[in-house]
Amino acid sequence: MAEQSQSMITSDRPAQAGPADGAGPPPTRRGRIGSLELLVVGLVVLMAGRQWLAGWFTAPGVQAWATVFVAICVQAVPFLVLGTLLSAAITALVPASFLQRALPRRPVLAVPAAGLAGAVLPGCECASVPVADGLMARGVAPAAALAFLLSAPAINPVVLTATAVAFPGRPEVVLARFAASLVTAVVVGWLWARFGRPEWLRPSARRERPDGEGRWTAFRGAFVHEFLHASGFLVIGGITAATLNVVVPRQWLGRLAGLPGVSVLVLALLAVVLAVCSEADAFVAASLSAFPLAARLAFMVVGPMVDVKLVAMQAGTFGWSFAWRFSATTLTVAVAASALAGWWLL
Amino acid sequence: MKREVQAILLVLLGSAVLRISLFSDTYLRYVRAALRPYLITAGVLVVALGVLTAVAALRGRQPAEHDGHGHDHGHSHAHGPRIAWLLALPAVVILLVAPPALGSYTAQRAGNTVAKPDGATGFPPLPAGDPLSLPLSEFEVRADWDPAKPLRDRRVQLLGFVTPKSGGGWYVTRLVISCCAADAVTYKVEIRGAQMPPANSWVTVTGVWQPEADAGRSDAVPVLNASQVVPVPQPRDPYA
Repeated sequence: MAEQSQSMITSDRPAQAGPADGAGPPPTRRGRIGSLELLVVGLVVLMAGRQWLAGWFTAPGVQAWATVFVAICVQAVPFLVLGTLLSAAITALVPASFLQRALPRRPVLAVPAAGLAGAVLPGCECASVPVADGLMARGVAPAAALAFLLSAPAINPVVLTATAVAFPGRPEVVLARFAASLVTAVVVGWLWARFGRPEWLRPSARRERPDGEGRWTAFRGAFVHEFLHASGFLVIGGITAATLNVVVPRQWLGRLAGLPGVSVLVLALLAVVLAVCSEADAFVAASLSAFPLAARLAFMVVGPMVDVKLVAMQAGTFGWSFAWRFSATTLTVAVAASALAGWWLL
Repeated sequence: MKREVQAILLVLLGSAVLRISLFSDTYLRYVRAALRPYLITAGVLVVALGVLTAVAALRGRQPAEHDGHGHDHGHSHAHGPRIAWLLALPAVVILLVAPPALGSYTAQRAGNTVAKPDGATGFPPLPAGDPLSLPLSEFEVRADWDPAKPLRDRRVQLLGFVTPKSGGGWYVTRLVISCCAADAVTYKVEIRGAQMPPANSWVTVTGVWQPEADAGRSDAVPVLNASQVVPVPQPRDPYA
């Protein structure tokens, strides 16, 4: 993989050489309605029908849905831009050899190193998917890149600070969160190194692209492509999360809180469903005071690693056959790690 | 997807973000105030990117025109991911609908959980003032958990919006967010002794705390005996 991507970067195929090997999409024929016309007409119709459109959004449930949907998208945009910028920068600027030298050669060691490196990316989970993709494109072993993908949104300083603020006077919660998240990331990374099959991981579009232009054009091209791609899947995740957020009533949660074994599972699943940003989930966890601390820890460990928004984005970047296997494994490991950490530290 | 379309989608999304963050306070309906500089930066970047893409599309068109196929397949970036069409959805909802801040619908369906403050350091005494203006969340925490019961016989003033109580009566409510509206936490105080104003309207309520038997449980909703209810405009930041 590393050699392959290296050779693609250095190949000096002329940029205007036409569709590569017949793999490019068919040319648009004249006279057919293209995407541009469709978009322009669609926008004009929507502008003209603005009143009619607003009429759809008067029911309180629909309004609440739209607000939560817009909120999820809006708050993710800066992080998505940051993540894609970093990813494009890694692809266009960081030499593959550097990353390979920076990480230990053997996956057994590279995975925990990459997991710890997650502590330096100050973003939430929206940023980490494109960055992990960029790392893989630069020849980092998938197991290590995936450990980074899981740990970055969970153990970075911003998230840990938020956790400390949400649980004042309880530093053991911060410690338990850090430990359980890092352990989950590393274990899942190792599991991937041992059992993962490369064919589950769809190579990203960027890696297939011949790259003969100047560095700036390559950077911009990679950035636009990846941003459009990731944000498209973010919208799918936002639709799902907003729907579940509005539809799932919170009241019944209280009734499940008393059951000891179940409560951890309930809050782990709630984290999957609500898709709260990892910078905020500690405050939500703090508010779920009817639940034992171990269950609230599971909410904070699972949330940054597996949620409906994230699964959609991973499916978009790495393919469905990866996303469901990876998320199911991660969820299992994360629940076990939080139950253990909760029992031991809290 | 043509590059022109990519450009338009990027400009649409970027300007939607700028419209609610740079040119108005609408973003406060969706996210916390601290996110504003990041939203503006991201919005500017996305718009700039859209413009650059448009310029590249227009330039890239020239050499491709004469090859008889029409246009726009000069090289392989030209066709973006189809999934990006979905970007139009949030952009259109923001620009054309701009849904209001969450209100009584959300508050009604949320459980009331007042976290017991974890730091066992105790509470500072309440400041002076009559009526004492308190954030709703503070009132609720003090009513439920402060062992000194400093609210007893104090006249307090609370700001919030009106949420009807199922089975009659009403609450004055606040939603508090820590990142975006998806993580809103509900605080409510039941109001007695005053007619219910229209649901979702904002009011200040002046009154005295009525201690109830179930105080000290995290799902207890404190009660205020109101002496005065005044309609007020919605605050700039509805979640602060």
